[in-house]
Amino acid sequence: MLPLLGIFDLTLRELWAKKVIMGLFLVSTLVLLFVSFALNLDVVEGSLASFRLFGSEAETDMTLEDLVFAVESVVAGAAYWLGVLLALFSAAPLFTTLLDEGHIDLLLSKPISRPQLLAGHVAGVWGAMLVLVTYLLGGVWLLMSVKSGVWNPRFLLAILLVVALFAVMYGVVVLLGAWTESTALSLITTYGLIFVSLALAGVKQITPQLSSTGAAVFWTAYHTLPNFAEVTQTVGNLATGDPVTDWYPFVSSLLFGAVCYALGAWIFARRDF
Amino acid sequence: MPSSPAVAVTDLSKTYHSGWIRQEHVQALDDVTLSVEPGTVFGLLGPNGAGKSTLVKILLGVVHASSGTAALFGTPSTNPAARRHIGFLPEDHHFPGFLSGERVLHIYGRMANVDAETRSARIPELLDRVGLAGRRASKVQSYSKGMMQRLGLAQALLGDPELLFLDEPTDGVDPVGRRDIRDLLVWLQEQGTTVFLNSHLLSEVEKVCDRIAILQDGAIVRQGSIHELTAVERVYDVVTTRIPPTVLENLGEALRPTEDGAPSDPSLSRYRVRADNRAALNAVLDRLRTANVEIESVRPLRQTLEDYFIDVVGGTSPPANGAPS
Repeated sequence: MLPLLGIFDLTLRELWAKKVIMGLFLVSTLVLLFVSFALNLDVVEGSLASFRLFGSEAETDMTLEDLVFAVESVVAGAAYWLGVLLALFSAAPLFTTLLDEGHIDLLLSKPISRPQLLAGHVAGVWGAMLVLVTYLLGGVWLLMSVKSGVWNPRFLLAILLVVALFAVMYGVVVLLGAWTESTALSLITTYGLIFVSLALAGVKQITPQLSSTGAAVFWTAYHTLPNFAEVTQTVGNLATGDPVTDWYPFVSSLLFGAVCYALGAWIFARRDF
Repeated sequence: MPSSPAVAVTDLSKTYHSGWIRQEHVQALDDVTLSVEPGTVFGLLGPNGAGKSTLVKILLGVVHASSGTAALFGTPSTNPAARRHIGFLPEDHHFPGFLSGERVLHIYGRMANVDAETRSARIPELLDRVGLAGRRASKVQSYSKGMMQRLGLAQALLGDPELLFLDEPTDGVDPVGRRDIRDLLVWLQEQGTTVFLNSHLLSEVEKVCDRIAILQDGAIVRQGSIHELTAVERVYDVVTTRIPPTVLENLGEALRPTEDGAPSDPSLSRYRVRADNRAALNAVLDRLRTANVEIESVRPLRQTLEDYFIDVVGGTSPPANGAPS
């Protein structure tokens, strides 16, 4: 257990040393300060009487619940897209650095198996992301709930979704990093898949316009690649308290991530360093 | 003391494959067999590309063998448990630059299964031993090459290893530091630690190693004790008073004057005696005594390890007695 904790600790410290992660914490803190001090709600008998931004009264027809959900939804969306993209940018080099000669030799000479070493590293990256997202989304949820008295516990599930989709995309980094040791290729492919997922999200609108072969290819891509963009809708539903009608994009993305990790671990275990 | 050899390698081979379309194969190790007994300081020598690093990496589970077996204290090297009592200092190692020297030891010590209490006790002691006590809180990125090497050595020693692998431990270290490391190796040997040393500095290997193996083109071409390997077969260094020319002439090829290292006493001269056996050596000495020549010293002639190594890798030295080739 100690060796596993050692690699977990090292990964957390390496991530913390990255300026992007520090920057994300700073931005999260600014968001929390904004929600704490710049956004003031006047709630009278459970209804929104008025709200002020930076001391100026803002006019709105929204109900108190709508306003709370809107704020939570904006923050969750930003955390999902910007947070995940930036976190991938800062975490991806960590995996290829792990494989550097003179570093991996030292790690593998410890009494730890390769799958454990990989698991410790991945757990460190996921752990850092979980702390970061919980700090931002959990903080916003708590502040908004206390201020408004509107408690939406389902919003907390969005934290898990954001971390899970980050984990899925980091699986691509692990697979390509173990295979090619190239940070650039890992990142380009990961961002490429996120970009492709924007098109895949329109599968129901696009496939009728395609030939039968094209539609089959598109459907295959939809079912096999991560549906990063489509999961935005799930995150949004959780933020607004709406029911999630379709978990398939999330589940299929998780399966894609599991395959990436399995293949990455297989390559990592077989490689010579 | 464990009864199994510290290192046991049998018929070990490694072929690297590269390329997708036009595959290239490089045979890094070819049927290597060697054994290192516990408590010895073992030196692995060989020219660049001989396969030394590959052998060490297979022993540490960093590289997979193509065939054959490797074990540490009887446990296959593919099993992580084999590395439980191992210390390793790789060549050109690097630690995350943002960590302090002390933090590096805590993190890598934890990975080596060293508990917090032991780490807290041993880290200050080790930093002091390797001369980094004053820089323990400095970030590693501010360390010189020599300091990194010292830190790497402290990291390798932290788990109180029974077997220590050192790959070029004195690389980048100044002469004083080199002597310190040499003294440390001698101390480790006295403590019963087995040391597997991979170094290009043959003078150092000669000073600290009990046994060596020379690897060339992936195969062990010589192995044995330094004493056995560097002894020049049946040639003796003899210092005597001046030998009369007639005696010299009578002895012919068996005794020749040499210019190597003239004795400080001008009344003495140095000779080389070539004798096929002990009786022949004594016959030469008897002949000298009969001629009233006084004998100051008789010593078997030795090469330096460097001369021996160059002879071997250059292909001019025959296998020594008892040394597998």
